[in-house]
Amino acid sequence: MGYLVDPENWKWITSGSNLKFILEGFLVNIEIALIAMVFALIFGLLLALARLSNNKVVSFIAGAWIDVWRNLPLLFILLGFALALPGALFQAWEELVGKSVPIAFQSGRIVAALLGLVIYNSAVMAEIMRAGIVSLERGQGEAAAALGLPYWKSMRLVVLPQGLRRMVPATVSQLITLNKDTTLISIVAIREVLKHTKTVVNANPFLGDFVKAPPLQAYLFVGLLFVLVNLALSRLSQRLEIKQRQATGTKVESITGIEDQVAAPA
Amino acid sequence: MGDLFAILTRNFDSFSAGFLTTCRLVFVSFAIAMAVGTLIGGLRAAPSKALNRIGAIYVEFFRNIPLLVLIYIVYDGLARGGLRLSAFVAGTLCLGLYTAAYVAESIRSGVFAVGKGQFDAALSLGFTQGETLRKIVLPQAIRTVIPPLGNLTIAMIKNSAILGGSLLAINDLLLNGRLIANNNARYVQTFFWAAVGYLILTGAATIAVRVLEKRLVIKR
Amino acid sequence: MLGNKNWRVLLALLAVVAMLGAACGGDDADTDAGGSEGGDEIEHEEFEEGSTMAKIVEKGEVTIGVKFDVPPFGFENPQSGEVEGFDVDMGKYIAEHLGVEPKFVEAISDNRIPFLQDGTVDIILSTMTITTDREAEIDFAGPYFIANGRILVPEDSDIAGIEDLTGKKVCTAIGSTYESTLKEQAPEADLKTVEAYSDCLTLIQNGQVDAVSTDNVILTGMIIQSGEDFPLKLVGDNLTTEPYGVGLPNKTDDMREFVNGVLQDSFDDGTWQSIYDEWVGQFVEGEPEHPEDFTLDDALKLFPCSEFCDKK
Repeated sequence: MGYLVDPENWKWITSGSNLKFILEGFLVNIEIALIAMVFALIFGLLLALARLSNNKVVSFIAGAWIDVWRNLPLLFILLGFALALPGALFQAWEELVGKSVPIAFQSGRIVAALLGLVIYNSAVMAEIMRAGIVSLERGQGEAAAALGLPYWKSMRLVVLPQGLRRMVPATVSQLITLNKDTTLISIVAIREVLKHTKTVVNANPFLGDFVKAPPLQAYLFVGLLFVLVNLALSRLSQRLEIKQRQATGTKVESITGIEDQVAAPA
Repeated sequence: MGDLFAILTRNFDSFSAGFLTTCRLVFVSFAIAMAVGTLIGGLRAAPSKALNRIGAIYVEFFRNIPLLVLIYIVYDGLARGGLRLSAFVAGTLCLGLYTAAYVAESIRSGVFAVGKGQFDAALSLGFTQGETLRKIVLPQAIRTVIPPLGNLTIAMIKNSAILGGSLLAINDLLLNGRLIANNNARYVQTFFWAAVGYLILTGAATIAVRVLEKRLVIKR
Repeated sequence: MLGNKNWRVLLALLAVVAMLGAACGGDDADTDAGGSEGGDEIEHEEFEEGSTMAKIVEKGEVTIGVKFDVPPFGFENPQSGEVEGFDVDMGKYIAEHLGVEPKFVEAISDNRIPFLQDGTVDIILSTMTITTDREAEIDFAGPYFIANGRILVPEDSDIAGIEDLTGKKVCTAIGSTYESTLKEQAPEADLKTVEAYSDCLTLIQNGQVDAVSTDNVILTGMIIQSGEDFPLKLVGDNLTTEPYGVGLPNKTDDMREFVNGVLQDSFDDGTWQSIYDEWVGQFVEGEPEHPEDFTLDDALKLFPCSEFCDKK
């Protein structure tokens, strides 16, 4: 226990550019999480609508796609894309992007990482959205139809807004998971916070005069960074849930899942 | 896509060894998660505010920290501080403690689903609070927790891949897959079979949950 | 749906992230606009239309894959934010001869070849040993450095050579030549394969593996990194000879010829020697084998086609 709190072991924080280096890495994780979430929401919605389609073939294919991606380990998907995708894709990215984006995004591998994160999370979001929509009483859809609203209008004006509102807690929960999952991209050689921390821990005399970080404290620090950000997100989600309950007046049945495993009733 | 079957037959030993190691990782982590998770869930559901707090801190820490960072803390950090664990123990400990946070939350909501009436009735019959929790409420809560447990097992199967990809160097399905892919320079084919392996595991878990659900419904 | 207050909090968060992102985007942490190690202005040739070199010049920069965590060949310096080392300096020299800026990205052992094949990088300079298996997938220029395989153990270990590795845990990187070397020469050893050599260093310092096996220069880098806190030592005879080659995309003979020419220049004008002295010479005893005496064929003979090799 003494080892943990010994101030000697925490000196590295104020030494040299250690802290700045680690935080720069952390920024990469946050940025990737946000970008992946935005795209996952878009594609997730499209997938969910496909799954709910009345066309049996479309629904089946969407369902199969979702089930396959949701049941594979994310790390596996990331490695698969990084190692097995054709290179023209990565080259095209690098030409397109040049120096206009932060360093970590200039390498073509970021495409593999983002692609993997988006494909996986869009499948998860699709299920969350479907659960939200399905949980809405059938009455809503039928009432809309009785009022003469065609399918798409009833979707857009009645079903989706209410259904999607119900899945906000699950969505924030998934964003938290996504935040954590961004550390996996270190395994496909993207310079994010874990890689930066490793460098600081394994420092060497080539690098000048500063204090090396002991691993326990360094990784605890990184862990705390994540815990803080994720805690803030979950507090936000709780506030949103309360607001929802106040706004609609009814007790909202929130759809939450453990670790991206939300399953809507089949 | 040539060699698709050749890759499987030539490397079957390695694939199956990895598959079995993944199974072992999941089993042990599951046991840890259930044991610790039930304990923490009990703390969370206890009437005492102090116990609640302790449980809450556990849950918030292990739910919000990335598994990979946890692995570095336990395997690397603690070793430097004097506590050396084997790779397998460190890995299952991390995965187990991590998942336990989710088990705890499941059990907590299960307990509340059981209803205050049960609690009060037990107390009026003369049970102590501890006994009530242990003998009456928790057993019922655990039953409501079966479906999420299935999802949880699937999540553990997926997270086990992280153990193989990290510096633990545990030869699970993912690591063995990467070694095979590298040695044969056949990435697509190897990853195809590794994917099949994972889908078999998650599929089995899904089916097991459905069967369990049916049997428990009939029991009631 | 959301109250005004929550929207503002979210917007503020996003704004902060965006600002930080923009602030960091300007850094040119990976490229170095400075001159080369030894020598004055280097004239670069005009390249033939359509040649690999011309395409690189058109792009305006050459992407070089190096190690980011293997001193003294390629490692990122957290104080400067830049990557430095023997491979990095050789890369800068080649870039000068091409007449473009070098851009360094991380190439770890098991994704080096895919990155070359798919165009993520133009050149690989990451302690990559020339083998016939690899020659089937990519082209090599060089060799540009001759290393030897050794075994690294803690100073108080009683392992003295490869025979003592039976039942011991040995660490090496996924996709390195040592995987197969160790399987052949020490089949009873318990092999732990990891992502990157920095993990091997962590494992041996923590006592979670008994030995690390890879190129002697990399191991020497680990000894230096460990310093006084965890004394390590090299043991045993040279397991292998490891000629490092410059990795190039497959079937680009014009590039191969060009790089070989640049390497010869570096031997002739003393650049190679001064880069060697700075990064390796100070730490390693004795004279190394000079790569000039090694031809590509010599190197290929050392690592002939294995059972997994497909002649394409």
